[in-house]
Amino acid sequence: MAGPEDAGGRTAATPTTEDERVPSVIVSHVDIRYRIYGSPKRPEETDEEGAVRRLLSRGGQAGLGVQEVHAVKDVSFVAYRGESIGIIGRNGSGKSTLLRSVAGLVPPSSGTIWLGGRAALLGVNAVLQKKLSGRDNIWIGAQALGLTPAQVRRRMDDIIDFADIGDFIDLPMSSYSSGMAARLRFAISTAVVPDILIVDEALATGDEHFRARATERIEEIREQAGTVFIVAHSRKRINQLCTRVLWMDDGRLLGDGRPSVVNGLYGRKYGRHRQVWKERYEQIERVMSEQGPEAARELLRRWEPEGNW
Amino acid sequence: MSADLGPEPRHQPSVLPYAEAAELARRHGMTQVAVRPSLGGYVREIWRYRHLMWSLAKGEVVSQHRDNYLGILWSVINPILLGVAYYLIFGVLLGLDRDVDNFVAFLTVGLFTFSFISATLTSGARSLLGNVGMMRSLAFPRVLLPVVKVISEFVNNIPAFLVLVLIALITKEPVTWEWLLFPVALLIVVVMGLGISMLISRAVHNVRDLANIVPLITRLLRYVSGVFFSIQVRFASIDDAPRWVGLLLEYQPVAVSLTLVRETLLQGFELRWQTWVVAAGWAVVLFVSGFIVFWRGEGTYGRA
Repeated sequence: MAGPEDAGGRTAATPTTEDERVPSVIVSHVDIRYRIYGSPKRPEETDEEGAVRRLLSRGGQAGLGVQEVHAVKDVSFVAYRGESIGIIGRNGSGKSTLLRSVAGLVPPSSGTIWLGGRAALLGVNAVLQKKLSGRDNIWIGAQALGLTPAQVRRRMDDIIDFADIGDFIDLPMSSYSSGMAARLRFAISTAVVPDILIVDEALATGDEHFRARATERIEEIREQAGTVFIVAHSRKRINQLCTRVLWMDDGRLLGDGRPSVVNGLYGRKYGRHRQVWKERYEQIERVMSEQGPEAARELLRRWEPEGNW
Repeated sequence: MSADLGPEPRHQPSVLPYAEAAELARRHGMTQVAVRPSLGGYVREIWRYRHLMWSLAKGEVVSQHRDNYLGILWSVINPILLGVAYYLIFGVLLGLDRDVDNFVAFLTVGLFTFSFISATLTSGARSLLGNVGMMRSLAFPRVLLPVVKVISEFVNNIPAFLVLVLIALITKEPVTWEWLLFPVALLIVVVMGLGISMLISRAVHNVRDLANIVPLITRLLRYVSGVFFSIQVRFASIDDAPRWVGLLLEYQPVAVSLTLVRETLLQGFELRWQTWVVAAGWAVVLFVSGFIVFWRGEGTYGRA
């Protein structure tokens, strides 16, 4: 229903589309709250300067208490097999938290997530054991993905080849460059073709050559009737890779639809012309309250002739 | 439509009502994420992940010993040095060596066994909170984390336990068939440690301030559990102390573990069925309750 094509309003579920498309992820009214320790709330100091002052003035009541962060707020969507879904949003908008929840790593505080298959997350933030060698980490990671020791042994060489880190494979991970670590994580997570692959900004690191191979691999997984979620900051990458985009903002899901549409919406709020759009919205609100909805609709048609107002 | 939201209602993502979502999921046979499996399902899941458990335990042992020249040798050197210190302070200086026949063996058995127990307490307390990063990257039954800590602590202590046998030989303890029970006694202690570790890891995960009390608890246990003195002898020297206090001190899990191990190696300690029944009882009770308590929290770990 909340599919990529019908970004407009709620449409009734028609059985025919249901039969064609198999849902792989259903997220229903999910909230995620984190407990943050030792950081009492000071709403008046949210800017960076405030943060510095907070650090300097440690003492007194600072460092005591529990604070709750509402990272994801009432998010719902349905993802289908064969889709590759980009997630956009500013830093700290809850993208990673939401995806971790989809991967079954961070339990939601309320709401429900259903998966049709196995989800695997790969990201630059994924923590491997720093003191262990790359090879040891492949053992741990691949087994956590459900491979048996025999399967790990068989695929070990492929994984090492794909990671392309040479002799470093037997050195502790703490000696790896960030690019090498990212490649290894990518290689481990795609050792098993998961039904649902979640890529968390892994493509930002690594050189051009690796990025090309990674894109190829993601394409491969998608072709095997999987679903791919991609978090990336580059809107260009999203447009290249994705058939659908979710826009997270301050924990809420603000947009869900084709990349061009959602990117356009995102641009209105954060793009170069955000001031213009802000004024337009304010004007619409004013017109709405003064002259009623018909006049507001008239105004919207002027700005967006192709919209169905 | 509000100015700070950005998109107009036309583009607001449509929301499937919960009941419809549940129906859709059911129709396609999808599974719900982050729910606690049934107890039997949980056990089966752990069995499926048993290989991961060994890899994690191996990794734990390796990473603990990687950072220094002598590596795993430290797990022998450390307890021996500690034993020497304790011998000088409590045996010689305070004269506690009059309590028992073979004080050196008595002390080292107590000390090494206790070191293992206290290590399971401390690392069990950290097992979940110290691995939040890993929990947020890999999916596996979370009970592996406290379990792996206990296994790796046990492996770390194997050299020390071998040293115990050596010390018993050097101090001229007669080699008897009872020595074969030494590994059995250790196994009972490990099962107890698993239970304690699972209990404490969930407790600390829920109320993390508890982690600050753990060092205090281990220190207290070190002093009341008869690591370097005989509870029986000391207690007998106190006039008109109530008998149940003595029994409590003697049969609490840690004290009874030390006695259990001593009974297998030391001639001064005869095998008594009471010790074994109570120790095995504690092991079963702690393990089962620990496992159930931990299982009941599955599906909540990782968010704290």
